[in-house]
Amino acid sequence: MHEVALAEAVWRQVAAEMGRHEGRRLLAVSLVVGCWSGVDPESLEFALGLLAAEGRWPGAAVHIRTEPLAVTCRACGCEFEPQELDLACPSCGASDVEVVRGRDVRLESLEAE
Amino acid sequence: MAKRIRLEKRIVSESDRLAAGLARRFAEARVLVVNLMSSPGAGKTTLLEETARRMSGDLRMAVIEGDLATDRDARRILKAGIPCHQINTGGGCHLSARQVADALRQFDLGQLDVLFIENVGNLVCPAEFDLGERRRVVVASTPEGDDKPIKYPVAFHKADCVVLNKIDLLAATDFSPEAFRQFVRGLKPSVPILELSCRTGEGMEGWLTWVRTERQAAARGTPRGCD
Repeated sequence: MHEVALAEAVWRQVAAEMGRHEGRRLLAVSLVVGCWSGVDPESLEFALGLLAAEGRWPGAAVHIRTEPLAVTCRACGCEFEPQELDLACPSCGASDVEVVRGRDVRLESLEAE
Repeated sequence: MAKRIRLEKRIVSESDRLAAGLARRFAEARVLVVNLMSSPGAGKTTLLEETARRMSGDLRMAVIEGDLATDRDARRILKAGIPCHQINTGGGCHLSARQVADALRQFDLGQLDVLFIENVGNLVCPAEFDLGERRRVVVASTPEGDDKPIKYPVAFHKADCVVLNKIDLLAATDFSPEAFRQFVRGLKPSVPILELSCRTGEGMEGWLTWVRTERQAAARGTPRGCD
């Protein structure tokens, strides 16, 4: 829903990282989008492309990988990827879980030359 | 030569940064801040009116109202006897940390026990935006249907308390409280589910007790992640 603001934050973070690698040219940005992050990967890719064209890295490629929701069971510690919103632990049946992956957007890596 | 730079860093938006700043201010002031979200018409404003009428003698409360347009809700809250500031978002589908920070100029946090933020009626976007609140409450109501939790799982999964309003209308609907509870528990087993009717007052005491208990924890300075 709000991918432009997020795309701005991505490019800001990329700029900060590239500042540590002066003189290199950015070739590609790899992002991970959690499926519970509320972010639509296609809209994010579109917003990133628009802002990149206006900014410092017009030729940089953007790779977005979606990440499934992963949780750990608070009762037995088992980690699993819930299917169809069934948060019950396949190992012990408890449904008190903590989300470990799939809720945020991460800058996974940059490629530069 | 091309070089891969491994980062694995969470993207932190400007909104996340502002919300973290608000959370620190709220914690320092030891005020309970509750972000209230629901579909349009579930009864957030009525819940706040009834809370004001029943608790404004014991607790110093205030409300920040979020709506696309009009100050109708703010006027209702003021009439119920507590301070209120209306934010009109125009086309905005949720309140932002920036808007809350601006609205805070209207209040002296040190003089408040509880600040309610009534978000824009929407179960999608408000769930994604932290406003620095200590607690999140989702209000559902019986005419909306009992499957709201699984249709909007993120909002319910992130809730610290679920209020089921309009239980006085149960007989007029096909709503199954049992199915609703199961859907909520499937997403978050530990969350309190408070069934009530703002109109008849049934179940209101459970909600007031939740607010009092949470307010005491905030006043003690218990970190927001702890019960």
